[in-house]
Amino acid sequence: MSSSSGAVVAKDLRIRYPDRDRPAIDGLSEVIAEGETVVITGPSGCGKSTLCRAVGGFIPELIPATVEGDIHIDDDSVWETDSARIAQRVGYVQQDPDAQICTLRVEREVAFGPENLRLSADEIRTRVDDGLRAVGIEHLRHRETTDLSGGEKQRLAIASILAMQPGILLLDEPTANLDPEGARSLFGLLRRLREDRGMTLVIVEHRVQPLLEMEPRLLVLDRGRLVERHARDHIMPRDVGDGPAPGAAATPGAAVVTVDRISYGYEARLFHDLSFDLRRGEILGVIGPNGGGKTTLLRLIAGMAKPDAGSIDRSAALGFVFQHPHHQIFERTVGKEIAIDAAERGPGEIERWLAEGRLSGLVGVPPLSLSLGEQRRLTLLTALRRRPDVLLLDEPFIGQDRRNVAWIVSRIRAHCARGGAVLLVSHDIPLLSVLADRLLFIDREPVLGTPNEVCEGLRAAGREAFHPAAWEDAR
Amino acid sequence: MTGHASDRGLRSATPITNVLVLAVLVGVAIASPSLAIRAVALAVILGLAAWSGVSAGSFLRSLRFVLVFAVVLFVAQALSIREGVVWVDRVVRITDVGLLAGAAMALRFLVILASSFLFVSVVDPDRLAGALIRWGIPYRYGYLLILSLRFVPFFRRELRIVREAQAVRGLRPSIRSPRGIRQAIRYTFVPVLVSGLMRVESIALSMKGRCFGLYPRRTAPQPERFRAADAGALCCIGVLVGFAVIAAGKGWT
Repeated sequence: MSSSSGAVVAKDLRIRYPDRDRPAIDGLSEVIAEGETVVITGPSGCGKSTLCRAVGGFIPELIPATVEGDIHIDDDSVWETDSARIAQRVGYVQQDPDAQICTLRVEREVAFGPENLRLSADEIRTRVDDGLRAVGIEHLRHRETTDLSGGEKQRLAIASILAMQPGILLLDEPTANLDPEGARSLFGLLRRLREDRGMTLVIVEHRVQPLLEMEPRLLVLDRGRLVERHARDHIMPRDVGDGPAPGAAATPGAAVVTVDRISYGYEARLFHDLSFDLRRGEILGVIGPNGGGKTTLLRLIAGMAKPDAGSIDRSAALGFVFQHPHHQIFERTVGKEIAIDAAERGPGEIERWLAEGRLSGLVGVPPLSLSLGEQRRLTLLTALRRRPDVLLLDEPFIGQDRRNVAWIVSRIRAHCARGGAVLLVSHDIPLLSVLADRLLFIDREPVLGTPNEVCEGLRAAGREAFHPAAWEDAR
Repeated sequence: MTGHASDRGLRSATPITNVLVLAVLVGVAIASPSLAIRAVALAVILGLAAWSGVSAGSFLRSLRFVLVFAVVLFVAQALSIREGVVWVDRVVRITDVGLLAGAAMALRFLVILASSFLFVSVVDPDRLAGALIRWGIPYRYGYLLILSLRFVPFFRRELRIVREAQAVRGLRPSIRSPRGIRQAIRYTFVPVLVSGLMRVESIALSMKGRCFGLYPRRTAPQPERFRAADAGALCCIGVLVGFAVIAAGKGWT
């Protein structure tokens, strides 16, 4: 049971970061009742994470910002209460589970919070057992945290928060780094927490559809303002958006990448005798569980690692867009960043590219100050500037709003229409099922075929989470 | 928190025993003038490693650069010391004193590095931090050790990713000119630094979000029990110290 209740009241809330012109939260007022499930969505940079961090008491104590208005947890103002004390009522689970693990063993990680509360050893033991049991990872208690999969780390992060016994659980894009099975399992866990413990759940998500099964209340933010509220009985499919329409059937051309019976992985074998080819004009989607080797496959094709056996024949120029944009941003301004990748560097040329990426007017702006969506568009543009035949994309849709997803999809289709090929790694099964010409499922037994063949085959094998219906039929 | 059932040897011993083992081995390597005692110390390290389940292959692989450097030290000493009974005197002059001095220096170097590596291999940093906190070291400093260890693989991975990102875009920062150095710093360290700062912010939120620093003291993990492994390890280094004392008394070299 949670030790605290969980009502949140925000009143005329305004939050402005020191280096920003416009407020991240602009006059937001809302009441979240105890035991309620609320999903917050909206475009990238709309203030969702800022709101979570403010409710968690981290702003302005840990993250400098000017704040106005008030947030109350039960009857206490967040601004007037030490954030560590707020933490006993509000648990905050961040997007990247790996980034919030502080210790080296699972059991120690769950005990970390209760130890800080100076609880007795017996009470700590009880809370550790309870937390691990609640998220179903008791069997991992002696494991090293570095050895866990993404889904296991996410469960550990939640277990370590549950050990604090908060009444309110804030989850910031909790499925962003999880494979479809991990994401479904997490949603099941959240449902149980709500039913068994009566916790107040505040979930920030771009993909709202899978959460509808929990009958949440939906809040839509835009530019720091609360622009839409939907009662849980009145959320319509139009409120959560549709995926892209299926593209025209591809006419595949000659193979530009041929993977011939490759094997890779010493301690844990990722691939064995994996073969496929990628053809001009084709989008090949790569799906599979966390840690299954999807990114490794891209690295092998890009020549960053060598297979233990077999060969990869690539008779084409490659462009590679990494999962995290900041890894690929090197220059001091957006204009210079664009200029790295091609001989044509005139101002007109650069402006034309920036306009294509909806980055007009940002030529002199430091790229790392851009929003995540803008950084993603910039890195895709820089890859396209090199005019590659093959585009390797590693999870390009993570943390992207619908508008950005639509832009990325349009660039992918345009690239293929010009005769290019795309190898696209993503956990977004509904999107890939309409976007990709073929799917490659990577696990112990790889499966290759049309999206329909692969998804139906996986469903028949009991892996329903890899079928788009598992996400679309959530309601 | 204690060791796990599957742990054996020094892995299941308490951190204080492991600190003692390390201190004695390093102390013997530095203080004992006896070549034989240093050789025995090296044998003790290899024995303790095998007893603790550290495979000989991985132990030697990890120490390969240390071994190469020890050989270099040995050769350099053997060639540079010209006193003593001459064994070879053609292109180079090799004497018994040079060989003994080279062996002594190489063994000292090997014992210090191998014992440190053994310590790192068998001690769980979480347990060590717990022990440090129980010994009265402020817990904030104890957790610095754990967080530092969390960041080592992170930075290694980030550096690899950034280098791969440079390669993808055809960037090969050179450090042969001031401009190249500036570019290498910007192209390599800035992205890694950004990743590091993002990680630091996440860790800070995570720690604060779980009340780290709320009180001057926190519940320390349970004291660890003295086990058979502790007794075995202490006996082992006790015997080594005994031999070292006898060797010093008898003037053995």
